[in-house]
Amino acid sequence: MNLTRSVESKAATGFSPVPFATRRKFFLLAMALPAVAYVIALGVFPLVKGMWYSLYEYNLLKPARTHFVGIDNYINLLADADFRGAIANTVIFTVFSVAIELVFGFVIALALWRDDRFNRVCLTLILVPVTITPLVVGLIFKGLLLADYGMVGYYLAQWGITDPRGLFATPSTALATLIFIDIWEWTPLVALILLAGLKALPGDLLEAAAVDGATAWRTFRSITLPLMLPAVMLALTLRTIDAFRVFDSVFVTTGGGPGNSTNTLMVYAVKEGLSFFNIGKASAISNIALLCVAIIAICFILMIRHFDKKANGR
Amino acid sequence: MVFDTARRGFLLLTLVFFLLPFLWLAMTAYKPSNAIFSIPPHLLFTPTLDQFRNALRIFDVGSLIISSLLIAGGSMLLSLILGVPAGYALARSTHPAAMGVAYFFMTIRMVPAVAALIPFYLLMRDIGLIGSWFSVVLINCVLNTAFVSWMMYSYFRSLPKELEEAALTDGCRQFGAFWKVSLPAVRSGIIASALFCVLFSWNDFLFAMFLTRLDSKPISVALLSAYGTKDITWGTLGALAHFSTVPIVLIVLVLNRYFVQGLTKGIN
Repeated sequence: MNLTRSVESKAATGFSPVPFATRRKFFLLAMALPAVAYVIALGVFPLVKGMWYSLYEYNLLKPARTHFVGIDNYINLLADADFRGAIANTVIFTVFSVAIELVFGFVIALALWRDDRFNRVCLTLILVPVTITPLVVGLIFKGLLLADYGMVGYYLAQWGITDPRGLFATPSTALATLIFIDIWEWTPLVALILLAGLKALPGDLLEAAAVDGATAWRTFRSITLPLMLPAVMLALTLRTIDAFRVFDSVFVTTGGGPGNSTNTLMVYAVKEGLSFFNIGKASAISNIALLCVAIIAICFILMIRHFDKKANGR
Repeated sequence: MVFDTARRGFLLLTLVFFLLPFLWLAMTAYKPSNAIFSIPPHLLFTPTLDQFRNALRIFDVGSLIISSLLIAGGSMLLSLILGVPAGYALARSTHPAAMGVAYFFMTIRMVPAVAALIPFYLLMRDIGLIGSWFSVVLINCVLNTAFVSWMMYSYFRSLPKELEEAALTDGCRQFGAFWKVSLPAVRSGIIASALFCVLFSWNDFLFAMFLTRLDSKPISVALLSAYGTKDITWGTLGALAHFSTVPIVLIVLVLNRYFVQGLTKGIN
């Protein structure tokens, strides 16, 4: 600390009467300010405006009827069966896709753990679904699973495994199919995050366990899993928040149907806001979704801190 | 040994699971129309380029790709210009507020897109930018700038401070030290950030769908509107999807090292 001080004061006398530390502060502020200003102006400002809109009866098609209604939009939503259905769908979708992605991703990460040529090639190719446009992912599965001429859907329907109308057109299977698509698209990402966690494990600890004659299962349960908790929590956080906001794949494949069986919060909000121009109601839905995401994020961040404290004793 | 064979077998099966659906789409574009609609569906067909001809006839593919490039490239450039210096400032500042700003950027990245889209749509309408690709760049930049700042923060933090301090004592200006010393040292972080910006913006269709018009729509929006139109077959759609998917998959496969490194860095 003292060393840096003396370096700073030396540099300061060289340029101007303003002390170096002060100029440094201004410089860093000037570097950060444009980005912060931009994000506040075009990101936070619209969000705050959205909160404001949610307190109005505001329909772009009936501008004359715009008036302040307080929290009526929110009260109406609680009584709205479609809204409750959308929440239930979103929660079911999130819980099942994230749980399966974590388990499947962990197995893949363990298989990819050893660093050899075969595994490196596998990892590269396995990441393809993550990079494909989510819209195209939806189209791929729609095309494959169509009951009339889809390469897979046709046989599933012919052999009586699924309803003749196809997986997407049957309310009982549509949501499960969307969960399957999400698993296909994002398990590779979970596997990669967990693989990064595995590679960061202290090798000497695992070796010591092996020398002591610990079984593979015992090592996994007592060493690998506890040390992996931060990485697992991170994968869990990222995926839960993203699954909760699911939009693209649902919009392309089922558009929320059949009936309302795959209507998620985001799809519901987009339909209300940008198809029916019901800005007040749509803003209220988005704000509830925003609140849910914030609660999920805070819970997970607190849990990550807790595990970090336990692991590092800080 | 047995275990190793089982492990490789499992990985090969996993690869098949993750690659086959994608290959199916790629294949569809080379099928003649009658093979796509044959009942029962079969695997064998004589490859043809008809679907690509159809796609080029029905869509103005050139202008779609240009719009996509403008949106992805524009938002990448602007996000890097704003986000890289911010990441540097956050990593170097000892002020307690810096940590708060870093968390703020992370939180913004998690906001559901729809929540920002509706007010943003009305804002763009009011200032007359609706229908232009530039409005899509502006909103993509909010998420991308937040992401780039957060990611570059991790990269700059892992760079030893002493490097810049030495440059400063040698008479370098503050910006000079950043530009000539720190920036080249985090080159791989910048490539990774750029890659993710392009990936996010190229793949987005929600913002573009509501903010662009006919002459400014990117390829993702064209795909969505094409799907569901009566006279467009899966083959044509597959051909169009080639233009949208193949470039991005190739870029990520080529820059795979930066992609994986960026993800790992963004995590820790």
